[in-house]
Amino acid sequence: MHALTLPLLIGLLGLAELASADAVVVVNARSGIERLSRDQVTNIFLGRYRGLPGGGTAMPIDQPESSALRAEFYRKLVNKDLTEINAYWSRLIFSGKTTPPWRTFSSQEVATLLAGNPDAIAYLERGQIDKRFRIVLEFSP
Amino acid sequence: MLSTRAANRGDETPRLGKRTLIGALVGLLLICPRAWASDVVDWEKPGFSLHGFGTLGISRTDQNDRAEYVRDLSQARGAGANWTGKVDSLLGIQANYRFGPRTEAVVQAVTREHGEDPYDPELTWAFLRHEVLPEIALRVGRLGTEFYMLGDSRLVGFSNISVRPPPDFYGSLVFSYIDGLDLSGTWPVAQGLLNGKLFAGRSPERAPFSPGLEWNQRGTLLAGGFLDFRRNDWQFRISHAGVRFNHETPTDLLLQQLGDPLSGVPYLTLVPEMAMQDRWARFSSIGLVYDSGPLNLQLMLNRIAQDSPAYADSRAGYLLASYRLGKLTPYVGYSRSLTSRDPLPSSPIPGVDAITLALVAQSHMDQFTTTLGGRWDLARNLALKAQVDWIRGEPDSLFLFKHVRPGWDGDMTVYSLALDFVF
Repeated sequence: MHALTLPLLIGLLGLAELASADAVVVVNARSGIERLSRDQVTNIFLGRYRGLPGGGTAMPIDQPESSALRAEFYRKLVNKDLTEINAYWSRLIFSGKTTPPWRTFSSQEVATLLAGNPDAIAYLERGQIDKRFRIVLEFSP
Repeated sequence: MLSTRAANRGDETPRLGKRTLIGALVGLLLICPRAWASDVVDWEKPGFSLHGFGTLGISRTDQNDRAEYVRDLSQARGAGANWTGKVDSLLGIQANYRFGPRTEAVVQAVTREHGEDPYDPELTWAFLRHEVLPEIALRVGRLGTEFYMLGDSRLVGFSNISVRPPPDFYGSLVFSYIDGLDLSGTWPVAQGLLNGKLFAGRSPERAPFSPGLEWNQRGTLLAGGFLDFRRNDWQFRISHAGVRFNHETPTDLLLQQLGDPLSGVPYLTLVPEMAMQDRWARFSSIGLVYDSGPLNLQLMLNRIAQDSPAYADSRAGYLLASYRLGKLTPYVGYSRSLTSRDPLPSSPIPGVDAITLALVAQSHMDQFTTTLGGRWDLARNLALKAQVDWIRGEPDSLFLFKHVRPGWDGDMTVYSLALDFVF
């Protein structure tokens, strides 16, 4: 019995962790951007087109590679695994095209970069949002 | 900090042998599963980053060495009855240096089975990229060719679903890169994205012609472009490229090897219409991709028109469908390649027409391939693939094979295993 319950417990904990992630797409409150469509956010994070509605070039920031929020974000944005996102970027990187989103090592780093750059765009846990940031896209549950 | 570590890793590589290098890189990858995360790109400040990709692949056929299977015509040798790593195994290393938010330099080298010097490393990319405007990028230097959709990343196994891009469609391409420039732009149009590219340059490559002989492509002019429209889950592309060959094929050397039937008389003095130098080949293609969540569908069609009768005109196409089920992605594919039989120039001298016919016959294809495979994503930067290709063709379908021997009937089954990685 124990041999079965442990993996089950770990599985349930994993599910709970995923379920608790509530990713929202945010920009710097000084950016002047009120809303972005899902297509616009997809284009920015997948490096297809990074022009912002008010001019300027968006600077997308990714959560750390191992973060559950990152998996959640790409799942909700384009219904893709992180492996598929890596495969997508490997094609672009090795054919000398555009650059991937800025990589970070903690969600605190994401918040700091976002707060310090008016053209930055990121995704955060809903609970991390404060007056420095503005939500521009929410995913339906 | 991580970038510096990557730089040190790069400094060590030139002193190592190729096998050691491959082993070391694979080892590094396995003990360092988070290596993929090391490609920190800083948008504002100058920064160096090092990346790599590769495939450890083995394949064999059921054809008892009556013909060798290659992934494209840049390979002089391929797979026979015994398992071999020649067709798919390769290693690529890439260094990026970012001068600022709009300017970047990229250098990439690849070692793989190609031409007459197997695993001789090639410089596949070496360019400066500058965003002239936010929508427009100019690249100058050595650039991968993009005759067809996905064509400039056909060596990056990890980015592709199947073991290799379908040889029926991509296999007749011998050009991988040019020394020149390209200009690309992207604009939001009609709730989608319109993307266009123009490129031009000269080839620095040599192409295998027949066993032991190469066709020098140095100076061959390549120019073309595409228009691509993407909206929601759909992507459509129309491409056109032209190639003006700069050298003749080494036909006389080949004839000397085959017993010198013309007693040293240059073949082209007898059949001048068969010249390739300064003649054009035109590559036209359309591509359609539907990519929605776990489902990916690719449909590509091409047409190659040759000015010279020395190579037959051809058409090819493929359909590839895959559906991701967690870490496993099964896929099925169907591809077709077919050449037309155009009238050939004739000579009054006895025996010459037979030579002409035999030369053009080398470029004939009439075959289709059914592909079944699976991709298993072992980690975020590591995928294992298994694939079977059933090629069914006419006995005179020769173009996409090497070392064809008597008894070849045009049918071949190819078994492949590949481990693709990026770091």
